[in-house]
Amino acid sequence: MIMASGMHCGLGMAGLALLLLAPFPAKAEANEIARLQQQLEALQQRLEILERRLAAQDSGPARTPELTEPRFETELLGEAVIGAERLEEARATAVPEPSPIRIGGALRFNHFFREDVRDSRTRRGDSGFDLFRLNVDGEIRDIILSAEYRFTPDMDVIRAGWLGYRFADDSVVKIGIHRTPFGLLPFASHNYWDGVPFYAGFSDNHDLGIAYERSDGAWETQLAFYKNEELGSAGTLARYAPDVVRQGDQQNEEINRFNARVAYTLGQDTGCEHEFGLSGQRADLFNATTNSRGSHWAASGHLDSRCGRWNLQLQGARYVYDPDNPPGVSNDSVRLGAFGTSFDLAAKGKLAVVNLAYNFELSDSWFDQVVCYNNYSRLIKDVGGGRDSELNTVGCSVGAGPLYAYLDLIFARNMLFFGEGSMAGGDDDRWRSRFNINLGYYW
Amino acid sequence: MSILRRPTLLFLIVLLLVPAAAADRLTVVSWGGAYVKSQMLGFILPFEEETGITVDVLEYTGGIDEVRSQVRAWNVRWDVVDMELFDAHRACRDNLLVTFDHDTLPPAPDGTPAREDFLEGSLLRCGIGNVVAATVVAYDHERIERAPQRIEDFFDVQGFPGRRGLRRSPKVNLEWALIADGVPREDVYRVLDTDEGVDRAFRVLNGVKPWVDWWRSGEEAIRLLETGRVSMTSVFNGRVFDAVQRGETFSILWDHQVWFMDVWVIPRNGRRQELAAEFVRFATTTDSLARQMRYIPYGPVRRSSLEQIDPEIRRQLPTAEENMVAAIEGDAEWWAANLDRLTERFERWLERPVMVPRDRPN
Repeated sequence: MIMASGMHCGLGMAGLALLLLAPFPAKAEANEIARLQQQLEALQQRLEILERRLAAQDSGPARTPELTEPRFETELLGEAVIGAERLEEARATAVPEPSPIRIGGALRFNHFFREDVRDSRTRRGDSGFDLFRLNVDGEIRDIILSAEYRFTPDMDVIRAGWLGYRFADDSVVKIGIHRTPFGLLPFASHNYWDGVPFYAGFSDNHDLGIAYERSDGAWETQLAFYKNEELGSAGTLARYAPDVVRQGDQQNEEINRFNARVAYTLGQDTGCEHEFGLSGQRADLFNATTNSRGSHWAASGHLDSRCGRWNLQLQGARYVYDPDNPPGVSNDSVRLGAFGTSFDLAAKGKLAVVNLAYNFELSDSWFDQVVCYNNYSRLIKDVGGGRDSELNTVGCSVGAGPLYAYLDLIFARNMLFFGEGSMAGGDDDRWRSRFNINLGYYW
Repeated sequence: MSILRRPTLLFLIVLLLVPAAAADRLTVVSWGGAYVKSQMLGFILPFEEETGITVDVLEYTGGIDEVRSQVRAWNVRWDVVDMELFDAHRACRDNLLVTFDHDTLPPAPDGTPAREDFLEGSLLRCGIGNVVAATVVAYDHERIERAPQRIEDFFDVQGFPGRRGLRRSPKVNLEWALIADGVPREDVYRVLDTDEGVDRAFRVLNGVKPWVDWWRSGEEAIRLLETGRVSMTSVFNGRVFDAVQRGETFSILWDHQVWFMDVWVIPRNGRRQELAAEFVRFATTTDSLARQMRYIPYGPVRRSSLEQIDPEIRRQLPTAEENMVAAIEGDAEWWAANLDRLTERFERWLERPVMVPRDRPN
């Protein structure tokens, strides 16, 4: 106790006292001594205070100094920070810096009921593993890294893998496999099944190339060049999103593609933002049989309006594939490949998207997010005849912590993966449906 | 008894020989920067000069853990602590502080008893208030199209366009949200005490959420205004004062300012409690507080101190009469009981966007 008191001058005497007390046993005695010592100190303090008060009274009535100009500094001091703020700042600085590299991923399962498939109806639907994916994202100084690899029952595939550099003006250049800048970004839908533009290769499509992105206030510009599809092997069907592939008599592949996209956001940073955008792409279509180049171009205009809790997305696009096929091979379609399979797409067509979504207000509920939507998309075929391909999905996505689920009722007419539907010709005029629940754990 | 007598006597002899060094020093724990400097100039140096006692000033970053550990170990090295009201309530509740006899506080120069001179709520069972700071709405009067006149205007993004800055904390935001929704200021904490009241406050915040930039430190809030990122922001009043001193054209909306205060407390089990109490009495005299306010733009808890401050400065203090007309006293006790629960909910609410998210899990 004496040591702890900090009475430097009394240390020697205190030590002596301890020595004198040493022969006597007992913790209780030590406590008694400490208590007495405290009482003595308190008495001493009181005595001194009383003495000072008496002295002050003797010298005059004013105990505290008159309020005169201070003898010290007179300038105003710097920043004034009060308790509430100081505490918050101390807490804020105590939060450790997050790691510059983040490892993430997802594990997902699917349950679906196909109304147009007898077995599915009889079994009351089917469930199964959908996907396991790993993500690596990060930024160290101005170098950005992003990669995603997917394991699915049908294929193991890279979706993205790029390195980027962030310039002083916050613009970014990306090199590697990344999403091509075209139309509504990042997705032209709100649901799990996605829309017609995705299956036609014009939404959420990833290719290998270089892209430059910059924002200037409300303006956003993206320029990109892609040497070829992302795998460097146009015959491979195991890919995340459809690309032109060399399969059968169709021996085309897309090369040397330029992309440009510009968007302007009206009401940026307000509660009501409207993004207007134009996109264009131009590429060569290399034909391995004729060893010659055809061409491809596409253009799109879109509106992505987020006002309060509503989101309206509109997109119209036109595309042309002009392959240089050998005689006997139809120029009315091109062959696309993805998900481990291939399918044909009308060589010329138009795309239309109308999406509406609403983000529900949640009070103190289990759910973090409930977004309900109706997504409609259509392919209008300009060659090869056939009925338009249509998809309409009504559903909701629900998030609760790391869990995220899509509950979708998908209606399709003459659409790939539904009956005899096709995106090149086809005449299936029946609306077919599929109820799909996708449940994922994301980290 | 006979066993005790001999060592006790010996110890008393030893103590009489020990110099009174301990009584000549006092350890006061406060905050850093300009704030502690204003205390040094306002009353610590005068206290040393008048009493001959050396005051050792230590800095800390708040909280009651250290006080708790010292008190429980009966090894109290901090004699007086400048504590946030929120912490003082917790420490008092945990029996870590000595109680004050408010009648021992000196009266105002005109003889008004201390109990009447101090602002309501500033005399606690375990602490004596010293300065008052407020969270206010500030705006740049040179830039803003239409200056807000009342707190409801802050939440009216149609009538008063532009982005808003708010502190990333449920404190003050919930109170203002209820005020904007028509709750009288005297009922705010009663309404917030119910789940429906909290829901109601969050619903109001939902209305401005897409327009809000959230800040953590007062410096960030000022930067949001300086850069024109927001048209108005909540901010601690002292920060605005500093910015104006630097030449910024900021103004304060005092309507429904939410004020909090710092308090002096004395940990239990200390050995210099009388001296500590003497220091607190000195630090909270009319003159001491008025002198401190020359260096820092916060309000003194004594009305008589306010009268001694230059009227120009006084108008910029939270405790100026005209600024207190519609003020809300931040209920530190209520927040001490509810902050953790509501912060959890607030953070979760923050993560929920109002707009349909652009990206989605895929």
